[in-house]
Order: sequence, then C-alpha cells, then structure tokens
Amino acid sequence: MIDQLGNGLLLGVIISVAAVALSLLYGVTRIVNFAHGEIIALGAILTLFFSGSVDSRVLFLDRFSPLGMNFVISAVFAVILCGIFGGLLELMLFRPLRRNSVGNIAVLVVTIGLSIFVRHIYLLFATGKVQNFPLELQRRETYLFFDMTPRNFKVLIVAVVVMITVGLILSYTKLGKAMRAVRDSEELANISGVNSDYIIFITWVFSSMLAGLAGIFQAIINDVRWNMGFLILLLIFAGTVLGGIGTSFGAMVGGFLIGVLVQISVGLPFMEGHVEAKNAVALAIMILILLFRPQGIFGKKERIS
Amino acid sequence: MSNNLLEVKNLSKSFGGLKAVSIDLLTFQKNQLTSIIGPNGAGKTTFFDLISGFQNSDSGEIFFNGKEITNIQPHKIARFGMVRTFQLTKVFDRMTVLENLLFSGSSVKNDSFLKSFLNPPTQRNYEKELQNRAYKVMEELNIKHMANSYARELSGGQKKLLELARSIINNPDVLLLDEPLAGVNPKLAEEILSLILKLSQQGITIIMVEHNIEAVMKISDRIVVLAEGSLIAEGNPSEIRSNKKVIEAYLGSENE
Amino acid sequence: MNINYKFITTLVLTVFSIYLVFALNTEGSERILLNLLTFAGIYGLSAIGLNVHFGWTGLLNFGHASFMGVGAYVTILLIPHAAGREGEFSTNGLPLIIALIVGVIAAALFGLLLGLPAIRLRGDYLAIVTIAAAEIFRLLVRDLESITGGVYGIISFSDSLQNYRPDFIDNLLTNFEFSPAQAWVGTLAWILIFVVLLLLKRLNNSPWGRALRAVREDEDAVRAMGKNAVWLKLQSFMLGAGIAGLSGVLLAFNYGSLQTTTFVPLLTFYVWAIMILGGVGSLMGPVFGSIIFWVIISETDRFAVLLFENANGQQIAGVRFVLVGLLIMFLMIFRPSGLLGKKEELLLNVK
Repeated sequence: MIDQLGNGLLLGVIISVAAVALSLLYGVTRIVNFAHGEIIALGAILTLFFSGSVDSRVLFLDRFSPLGMNFVISAVFAVILCGIFGGLLELMLFRPLRRNSVGNIAVLVVTIGLSIFVRHIYLLFATGKVQNFPLELQRRETYLFFDMTPRNFKVLIVAVVVMITVGLILSYTKLGKAMRAVRDSEELANISGVNSDYIIFITWVFSSMLAGLAGIFQAIINDVRWNMGFLILLLIFAGTVLGGIGTSFGAMVGGFLIGVLVQISVGLPFMEGHVEAKNAVALAIMILILLFRPQGIFGKKERIS
Repeated sequence: MSNNLLEVKNLSKSFGGLKAVSIDLLTFQKNQLTSIIGPNGAGKTTFFDLISGFQNSDSGEIFFNGKEITNIQPHKIARFGMVRTFQLTKVFDRMTVLENLLFSGSSVKNDSFLKSFLNPPTQRNYEKELQNRAYKVMEELNIKHMANSYARELSGGQKKLLELARSIINNPDVLLLDEPLAGVNPKLAEEILSLILKLSQQGITIIMVEHNIEAVMKISDRIVVLAEGSLIAEGNPSEIRSNKKVIEAYLGSENE
Repeated sequence: MNINYKFITTLVLTVFSIYLVFALNTEGSERILLNLLTFAGIYGLSAIGLNVHFGWTGLLNFGHASFMGVGAYVTILLIPHAAGREGEFSTNGLPLIIALIVGVIAAALFGLLLGLPAIRLRGDYLAIVTIAAAEIFRLLVRDLESITGGVYGIISFSDSLQNYRPDFIDNLLTNFEFSPAQAWVGTLAWILIFVVLLLLKRLNNSPWGRALRAVREDEDAVRAMGKNAVWLKLQSFMLGAGIAGLSGVLLAFNYGSLQTTTFVPLLTFYVWAIMILGGVGSLMGPVFGSIIFWVIISETDRFAVLLFENANGQQIAGVRFVLVGLLIMFLMIFRPSGLLGKKEELLLNVK
C-alpha cells in the first residue's frame, strides 16, 4: 500500500486541481460540464503539439509534426490557449444559451454533445496512439516515505502551490468575492453592481486554465491520450461530489481523497488481480455519498433537493 | 376525541441552530377557517411543511383526526385528507388544465400500472366519472374555458386557481393554503377569497397562511399569530386586532 | 393538423434517407440497408426505453448502456455459450425464452437499483450517478473473467436463437449476400418494436402514463396530491430498463459475440442522440429517429474514408462520433423537440 501512496498523492493533486475547476464552474454557472474532461485533454495535447519533437509526424493523421518548443513555454502557452478556449465556449455557446434561458438539463446534454464532438476531433488530430512528452526518463527517488521521480515530485509541489494560490484568489481577491456573489445569487450580484456576465466569462477562462493545467500534470505523470479527459472525468465528478458540489475547498479535498483512494485501493487484498477495477471503487464511494450524504463532506444541505 | 381535527404538541424545527418553529400546543377545529399570520421568517411555511410532511420535525407530535402523523411521508398525509398548496405555485406545466385535474383526482388504485395496462371497464367508467368531476370543479372555479390549455400558459393567478381546483377535487377534510393570494391581481384575489369562504361553508376545514391582513381579517374565524417560530397570539379577528403583542411583533416589523 | 404535418415531414425524411442509401451506393445497397435497418431496430428499441425514462418521467438516465448490458449478459449466460479465453462450450443452459425473460427482469431490477438514488437526487446528480453506475457495471463485468469471459467475451451462443429462424428468411436473402442470421435478429427487433410500442401506447394514454408525466413536471405537487412519486419513478426506471435489456440481448445476437467494449458510455450517447432526433416524449419518434440516424452514421463512414485517406479504423469510427456529438448539440440548441416531439411538452426548462 505504501508503494501506491506516491502514485496516490499524484493522482490526488491532479484530480483535486481539476475538481476545483469543475466545482467553481458549477458554482457560478450551474452547468454540470461533461466537456470538462476535454479541456483537460486539450492542455496535454496542445503541450505535445508545441513541445513534441519536430521529427515525429504524429499529428493530424500523421501529416503534421509538433513544433519542438521549450517544454515549460509550451505548457504555459497550452494553459493560456485552454483559457481562451473556455472563454470562447462561454461567448459563443453558453452565453447565447443562457440568453435564451435554455434549461439546465438541456445545457447538460449540450455539454455531453460537445464532449463527444471535441474528443473525437482529438482522435483525428492527436491519433489514437498513446504518446509521451519529450522528457527524459528519470529514476524514482525517496521523499519522506514515498517514492517518485524528481519530475513528478516537482509536479506535486507545483500543484500544491497552484491550489493554495487558487484558494487565496477565491478567498481574498475582489474577483473571488464576486464569483462567490454570483454563485449565491446572480440577480443579487447584478443589483449590487457585479457584472455577472463578466464574472461568468472569467470563471470559464479560469476554470479552463486550471483544467488544462491538470491535463498537463496528468500527461507528465502518465501519457497523452485523445480520451484521457473522459477517462478521468468520472473520478473528478466523484471528487467534487465527495467534497460537496459547488464548494471549492470541498472539491479540493474531495478530489485529493478520491485520487489517493483509487491508488491505494489497488493494494487492498480483495483487489488483487483486479487493478482495472480500481476506478469502480471511487465511483462506488461517490454513489454511496450521494445516497447517504448528498451534500458531500463540506456542502450545505439546501443545495441538493 | 374532542372537536380538534389537527393537534400539534411541542413541535420544533431548527436550521443550523436557528429555531424556525417552536410551538408548545396548537389545535385546529373542524369546519373553522384559521389564518396563520406573522412577519417574514416567522416560520409559517416551515410549519406548513412540517404538518404536511414535506419536512421532518426535530421533535414533537402532530395528530390528525386523532391519528399521529408526525414525520409521515407527505403523500400519506395527503391521503388522510389533508391537502396543501404551495407558496410558489406548483402546477404540472406541460400538462393541460384538464390533465392536471384528472391526475389529481384519480385514485392511487386507478393509477396502478397493471390496471392501466389491462384497462378494464371499471377503469374506463372511473375515468368517465373523474372527467365529470374535473369539469364540475373547473366550472365552479371558472376555469372551464381553459381545460385544454397547457398549465404553463396560464397567468399567475390562474395557476393559483388551478392549484386550488386540484386540491379540492377529492373533497379533502383539511385544506392548507400557502399564500393563496400572493401575486394575484385584486379582482382575481377577490374571487379566490370568496371561493375560499365558500369552501369553508361547504364544510372544509381551512388553514391558510396569508400576508394580506385585510383579507385575513375579513374571512377568518380564528387567527393564529407566529413570530420567530413561536405562537404569540390566537383568537378571533377582533381579538387579534387589539392584541398588543401582535401589534408589536407583527405590525412593528411590517412598518420597517 | 400540426402533428400530421410533422409526421409527413418525418416520413418524407425517412424515405429520403433510405433513398440516399441507394443513391450513394451503387453496389450492395440492399446489404447496407438491411444492415443499418437491423441496427436501427435494436437501437430504436433501446431509445424507446430511454424515452420512458426521460421523455415520460424526466429521469436523466445516462447509464442506459448498463441496462442493455445486464439484459444481454444475464440472458446469454443462462443459455448454452462459451466464455473466456479458453472458450469451452457448455451445452447446459435454459431455453432462450426463459433466459430472455430472466434477463429482462434482471435489467428491470438493475433499473430499480439504479433508481434508488433517484429518490433523493435532483436531475443533474442522477445523470452522474447513472453514468457512474454503468461504468461500475462495465468494469466489474470486465474483471469477473471467470463468469463473463472478461475482455475475451462470450461466443457460440447464437444457435439458441438461430435454431428458431424460419426458412423464409434464408429464401428471401438468397440474392442479397446478407447474413440470414443477422436478418433474423433484425426482423425480431422490428417485431419487438411493434409489440412494445403497442404496449406503451396503451400505457401512455392511461392514468399511469399521466401520473409519470406529473412526476416529470413537479414531484412535490405529486406528493401533495397523495401520490407516491418515488414508487412511480421506480416503476418508470424498471419499465425503461426492461425494454433496454431486451434490446441488449438483440445487440448481442446481432454481433454473435458478447464483449464488454460494447456497453461503453458511447452506446448510451448513441441512444440519446436517437431519442433527441426522434423527439423526446414522442412514441414513434425513436423509430424514425433511429433509421435516419443510422443512415447518417453508415454514410459518414464512407465519406470519412474518402476524406481522410490515411486515417486508421479507429479514426474513421471517430468521424462518426464527431457527427454524433454535433448532432446532439445542434438538436438540443436549435430543435430540441426533434422530429416528432411536442413543442408544448419540451423538456427545456426542467430544473
């Protein structure tokens, strides 16, 4: 089980970052975004596009080569582009839907359509192959009581720093307060001088950047796949639900717990030889939580019914 | 059993430390029209939710017709003959007015899957009789001309009427009306008011939460005043009108 | 009259899409048509079940693939089959009809199980629970290799059905190069659609159907009227899941083998696309929706091959889904009532 702890911490922070993003978006817009996974994958695929070796003709049906840029710069570009993508989604798709007061359920179905659409564009563009960032292999080292490569350790640190920053932004800045105001009541926020359209736009950008970053982390630790976002989406939902939908702090903790649990469950006796079923454990936890404490660990009761 | 149709003992409910309802003893008599008034946040709607089963109480007992109904599921309480309406009108939007009434008037037995699948003559006859009942109620409430309109197309006041029609189609013993006049234009309000009075005269016990004091004073047999979840006064309209406590708690905060 | 107009348009569109198959394929168009009609029948049946959930009762079910899967696995495991890597054939098994009944009941019971969380949860939470439960089902089936054959799947079960194939199907198909076995499955699918629709039509116009619609509109008001909203929802879950289970069995017989990869979330989304295209809440909608949908899908494959010459099989199949995603989005945004849905009963403003 200790072997898995390092992996658990890594998966935990990834899901945590992605879950905060999802939860923030849900809190402000009430959209259950099934396309969240695709923004995660976008971060990884764009980073691969910028940083991959120029000699490997891997993109768009093996016709195009990546640009071979510096990795960190590539990642930064990718995150920014994810933000732009999220902003465009809001401006071109979700804002018009909101203007026409399309119901939440309809919007949810739209995000599912969007997710299927975008994901399979990736399949065409990034191929169905499992790919890796052009980073040299590293040996695992021991940190405190867990093992991981120095690079993954860096990812862990960066992710924690990102989350602390996000927490500070949400708690103390004007923007964070405005977001919370819109979350509690869009109407009230508008009356008190907050431009809710602007806040929702910023939330989309912010949430998408975080999602893209989570995708890059995930790709560094594992690999780049066209459907990597969808594979992890349900775990992110599980984390969000565990912490309490719509609460950022809850999503952070819930996401982290789910990640750790999934990896640790691999070491459980009854899981021997059933490694593939590890996600089922997380999903079962989520369903149980929804059955017995639907507001999650940190959520308030009134949010559910 | 005395004349008490509904009896509430030591009922309490709080939300996160805040007492929403705390009532030692409150009874409602048969055939009376009782209004519950009180400033915003007095716990009136919560009280309704508790006696109709839509929320569970923290402690206390509720008796209806001598039977304990504390924390029983709402549909069971409704089947005992106590039917409620909602502050924010709840109609079946994408069903026609007629369908709204047919569903509401239909018995649980009539709704059963097996019976619906077999559709025996008994069910067909029942549906015919039900349709007659629905039309009669619609006539009574002046909404017959809208029988085939979708409920979502009705105005706010018309929806209140539909909700009322739906609630009386099965001749309940007790009708719990949560702000039946809220957001209704004065002319229709007058109509609804006389309708409530008529229902009361027909022998239905009515308990009503309403903010329109004038209306309340006009038609109530008895008035119950809540403030901060507790009972502060009860009596007939003239008693309430001159009650100091009420003026302090209720009118005081109204004038803010 | 409005309904007639819609109906005629839909009919014309359906005929036109079938004509397209002939116009675009100079060779083997009959074979292509028979193939897609078989799929259209099976998926249409499944969409009819989903429509009971979402269209009638407003239940946001995104785990439909698992209902199909439960029906298929339970039925196939009960009849003679060969499972797993070794693939040893066991001749022991129940007669198909009994296995089928058990399978459909199992699917309905799984619906009941999945419906339990729905007692307390709002729509969007239910979507997450159902899709998660479907994934749990799929992961478990894949992992329980000793019973389900795991990733190796189950084979050699078709005889239980094909032994009953009437001769006329073989005779009719002599000129078409189309597998009589598949044609038999397709025929059964369309017969079942007919039977199920007759049953549902009866229920839709009944007090029970009326009660489901009331649940869809406002559960609290249903309770206030003395009706048990939870039980109604559970009944709806069971009926729709049972129908889905039936279609799952047909799907297994159509493929001739049973694989866990069949019952992925994308299967659910296919069925959703068909339901939305046909018209949410409409009885006949899924039937026409399914035919048109499968014409689009099968012709897309051909265009994808022409358009992206060096795409691999996975990517060609991906083009389908690009289209499915677009279709769902566009319909939801521009024509949420689909082909035959009632505008007045649009499920747009559901909370």
